[in-house]
Amino acid sequence: MRLTLQTLISHGRVARRMGLGPESRINMLRNILTGLVRHERIETTLARADEVRFYAEKLIDYAKKGDTDEKAMKMASFWLTEKDLVPKLFKVLAPRFEKHSQGFTRMARLPNRENLDRAKMAVLEYKGNPFPPLYPVKKENELTLINQLLKGYREEKTQELYMKCTENVTVNN
Amino acid sequence: MAACTRGLKNLLTSIKFCRTLQFQDERFLCTSALRFANNEPPKFVPPSKPVIINKTQTTASTRRFLSPEFIPPRGRTDPFKYFMERRDMVRRRKALNIPEFYVGSILAVTMADANASGKTNRFVGICIQRGGRGLGATFVLRNILNGQGVEICYELYSPRIQTIEVLKLEKRLDSNLMYLRDALPEYSTVDPEMKPVPFSPTGEVPVNKLKVKMCPKPWSKHWERPQFAIQGIRFDLCMTPKQMEFVQKKYAKPWEEYDMLKEYDTSKLEEQIFAEVQQEMNK
Repeated sequence: MRLTLQTLISHGRVARRMGLGPESRINMLRNILTGLVRHERIETTLARADEVRFYAEKLIDYAKKGDTDEKAMKMASFWLTEKDLVPKLFKVLAPRFEKHSQGFTRMARLPNRENLDRAKMAVLEYKGNPFPPLYPVKKENELTLINQLLKGYREEKTQELYMKCTENVTVNN
Repeated sequence: MAACTRGLKNLLTSIKFCRTLQFQDERFLCTSALRFANNEPPKFVPPSKPVIINKTQTTASTRRFLSPEFIPPRGRTDPFKYFMERRDMVRRRKALNIPEFYVGSILAVTMADANASGKTNRFVGICIQRGGRGLGATFVLRNILNGQGVEICYELYSPRIQTIEVLKLEKRLDSNLMYLRDALPEYSTVDPEMKPVPFSPTGEVPVNKLKVKMCPKPWSKHWERPQFAIQGIRFDLCMTPKQMEFVQKKYAKPWEEYDMLKEYDTSKLEEQIFAEVQQEMNK
C-alpha cells in the first residue's frame, strides 16, 4: 500500500502551479518572457516574476551559445512568441551579458496592486537596460568640508600635471 | 665438463618427467629439480606456457562505464553527503566485484540465505530496472519459473550478496523494461542453467533491437502513451495506427522538451565522479 500520495505531497517541487495546468503555466510564462525581452522591464505579480526570472536567465544562457546552435534557435523561437524579438535576443541581449556568468535579471517589489485582490507586485528587469535605475543611486554631498578639500586637491594635481606637460613640450621644442 | 653435461641431461630428463606428469606447482618442480641435480645449483627453468601480453589493449581502450547510482540526483542536499556515500560504495566494490551491466542484460546473483540448504541461493534473470542512487541502489531481475513470473529486487551494495555474474551483456531499446510483465512469457524466460556468453571489455555494448509482442489489453500501465516513450514494443500488432496516433496526440506534452526547469545536465558531474572513482579504485 502506498502510504504517500505523490500528488498531494510537494516535497522538493520547484515549479509553482499557475493557471489552468502545466501547459497553461508554460504559455503564461512564455507571454511574460516575451514582454520582458521586448520592454526589458515589466511589472507583474510577485509569483509570476519569480517564475519568469529562472526562465529569463536560462534563455540568456541559451542565447549565449549563438545563433548557429540548433537547440538555442529552437528554444528562442519557442519562448518568444513575437518572432521579431529573436534577433534582438541573439544580437543585443547575448553580447550585453557576455562577461557575466549569472545574474542577468533584477527583481524588486512594488506596493500591492490597487485592485480588490491587493496582489503582491514586482518589477523584473534585465540588467543594463536604458531606463533610470530602480534603486536611486546615492550621490555624495559635494558641499561637505572633506569633499571640498578633496576637490581642491584633485584640481591642484591636474594643474601640476598640465604645467609639467607644457614644460616638456617647450623643452622639446 | 662431462659432469656438467651429465647434470644437465639429468635436469632435462627430470623436466620432461615432470612435464609428462603435468605438475602445475612451480615449487614442486624446483624441489624435484634440486633432488635430481646433485652438484649444480638449480638452473633457471623457463615457463612451459608462453605468457601472452596484449600490448594493443591498454586501459584507455577499455569501455568507460560509470554505474548510474554514482550520479547524484538533482536537489538541495549537500554534495558532501554524496562524497561520503561514494567512498563507502568504493569500499564495498573493492570487497565484491560489481560488474558493468545494463537494463536488458542477463545476470546471476548468489545471495546469503540462512534458511536455504547450503546457506546461499542463486537467481538468474533479466535486469528490467536499475533504480536508486548511492548505497541504496537496486536492480530488479525477472524470470519465469514453472510458469510463474518472479521478480526479485536486489540491492547492489547489500552485504548479503556474494556474487553478481553477467551471463549476457547487452542493452535494449529502453532503459526500463517493466512492460515485460504484460508481454508474452517467452520474452521473460531465462534458462537458470545458462552458460555465460563471452563479451569483450572493449568496444560498444551490443544493443538488442528486439520488439516485444504483448498480451492482449488491458495492461498494467498504458505503455502506448508518450510519457513512457517505449521503443521496444510491437504496437502494430496490438492496436491500429489510428488508435496509436490518437493516443500519442491526446497525451502528448510538446512543451516538456522546451521546459528548462526539467533539464538536468550531468556531463561535467559525470566526468568528475568518474575520475574520482577510478582514482579510488586503483589505490
